[in-house]
Amino acid sequence: MDFNFIQIILVFAWVFIVAIDQFDLLESLYQPIVTGAVLGIILGDLETGLIVGGTYQLMTIGNMPVGGAQPPNAVIGGVMAVVFAIGSGLETTAAVGLAVPFALIGQYMVTLLFTVMSPMMSVADKMAEKGDHKGIVNLNYLAMAALGLLFAVVCTIGMIGGSAMGKVLTDVFDAVPWLMTGLSAAGGMMRFVGFATLLRIMLSNEHWGIYFTGFALATIIGYIPALSGSALLLIAFIGITLALSDFQTNVAIRNAAGSNVNGGDDDGI
Amino acid sequence: MASNATTYTNLTPAKSLDKATLNKMVWRSLNLQGSFNYERMQANGWLYSILPGLLAIHGEGTEDLKTSMGHNLEFFNTHPFLVTFVMGIVLSLEQQKADINTIRAVRVAAMGPLGGIGDAIFWFTLVPIAAGICSNMAIEKNIMGPILFLLIFNVVQFAVRFFLMHWSYELGTQAIELLTANAKEFTRAASMLGVFIVGALTSNYGGTALNPNLALENGTTIQSILDGVLPKAIPLALTLGLYFLMKKHKWTPVMCIGALLVLGILGALVGIF
Repeated sequence: MDFNFIQIILVFAWVFIVAIDQFDLLESLYQPIVTGAVLGIILGDLETGLIVGGTYQLMTIGNMPVGGAQPPNAVIGGVMAVVFAIGSGLETTAAVGLAVPFALIGQYMVTLLFTVMSPMMSVADKMAEKGDHKGIVNLNYLAMAALGLLFAVVCTIGMIGGSAMGKVLTDVFDAVPWLMTGLSAAGGMMRFVGFATLLRIMLSNEHWGIYFTGFALATIIGYIPALSGSALLLIAFIGITLALSDFQTNVAIRNAAGSNVNGGDDDGI
Repeated sequence: MASNATTYTNLTPAKSLDKATLNKMVWRSLNLQGSFNYERMQANGWLYSILPGLLAIHGEGTEDLKTSMGHNLEFFNTHPFLVTFVMGIVLSLEQQKADINTIRAVRVAAMGPLGGIGDAIFWFTLVPIAAGICSNMAIEKNIMGPILFLLIFNVVQFAVRFFLMHWSYELGTQAIELLTANAKEFTRAASMLGVFIVGALTSNYGGTALNPNLALENGTTIQSILDGVLPKAIPLALTLGLYFLMKKHKWTPVMCIGALLVLGILGALVGIF
C-alpha cells in the first residue's frame, strides 16, 4: 500500500516526537500501545494500530530501557511494525520481524548521537565559564531535535522504500562492522572520563581506600544476580554508615579539642 | 572543566526559591536526558533543569553563577523520574551557599542509589501492570487502552516528580543548620561518601570487557582469566589511567575522549572488543 503525502508528513512528525520521548518529555508516548493507536489513526486503520500496538507492548514488557545499554531500538521497531502491518496487511509477528533491521538502525543512531555529544560537553564547559545559560538550554534542545530528526528520516525512508530498505540500510553498517563495534566500545568507556574527572576533584590522598572499598563492594554485590537492581542502594547504606561515623568522630574530636579555644561556639549535635 | 573555586564569593544565603520556580524546574526535569552522552551522561540536562533555580540564587552574570554552572556540568546520572529529589537537596545547598565540595559530594551521593529504586517502581512495577491491563484492552480494539495507559503512567510520574522536588527542598533547608554548624566535618564526610559511590559506579556502570572470541586454544577466554585475577579490572584500570592522565599530565576530557575513540575503533579492528 502506498501512503499519501500528508500521512508521510504526519508519521514523520509523530516519530520526531516519540524519538525524543523515549528519553525525555513524558517518556510514555513512545510506548507501542500509544504509538500503535496514533499511527493507526494517521494511516486510517485504528483497529490494526491498536492490535499491533497492544501485541508489541506485551512483547516488550520484559524489555525495558534499564541500566543504560542500548538494545535494538524498540521505538523505531514499534513504529515500523505498525506501518508494515497496516501498509501490507501483515500479521503482527511478521510485521515485527520486518521491523527488526530498523530497530538495529535505531540502535546505531542512538550510539552515534551519544558518542558525538560527548566532545560537545567541552563546548558546554566553555558556556558555563562565560555564564552563558541560554547556550546550555539550546544545546539540550538541539540534541533532542537531532535525535528526533535522525529517527524521523529513517522511518520516512522505510515508509517510502518499504521493508526492503531496512536491509539496505543495515548492509551499509554491516559493511564496516568494526565501526559500530568500535564506537560502542568507545562509548562504553567514555563514562570513565566522567568518573576520573570527579575523582580528580573529590579524591584526597587519604581516601584512596574508600574508593577501592566502594569498587570492591559493588563488584561483590554485582556478582549476585538477585541484587543487580538494588546494588547501589545497598552500597549507599554502607557508604552512609562509613561517612556518618567519620563525621561524628571528627565532630567529637573537634568539640573535645576546641572547647578551650573557641569555647561555647559550638553546641555539637 | 570544573572551576577550582571551593566557595562562592557571595556567601549570603539567597532568598528561598518560591513554589513557581521549583515547579518550573519540575517541568524542565522532563528533559533531563536531552543531551545525554557517554562521557557525562545527564550532566548538561541536569544543569539545564536546575538553571532557573541557579539564576534566582546567584543572579545573572555573576561569578558565582559561572562557578555553579561549572561544577554542575560534571558527570551526572540518576533515575530520570526521581531526579527532582536530587534537585531539591542540591538547590537548598546552593541557596544557602554551602561549600562547593559539599554540594558536589551530596549530588554524587544522592544520584547513585536512586537508579535501582526508580527501575523497581517504574519499569518493574508500574509499566508491567499498567501495560498488561491496557494492552489487552487495545488488542480487543478498545481505544481506552492507550488512553488509560497514558493517564495512569503520567499521574504517577508527575505526582512523584512534584512531591520529591518540594519535599527534598524542604528537607535540605531544614538540614542546613545542622550542617553549617559542622561544615568542615560534613564536607569531609560527604566527599568520602562521594568517592565511595564513584568507586561503586566504576564497577557497577563499568561494562567494558574483552571480546569473548579472544580465547586460548582450550576455549578459556582471556576475559575469564582476567576475571580470575580481578573482576572489573578493565573499568578500574581505565578509570585510574584517565585519572592520572588528567591529574599528572593535565589531559582535558576531550583528549581523553579522543584517545578512547581511537582505542575503541583500533580495538574493534584487531578484535579486542
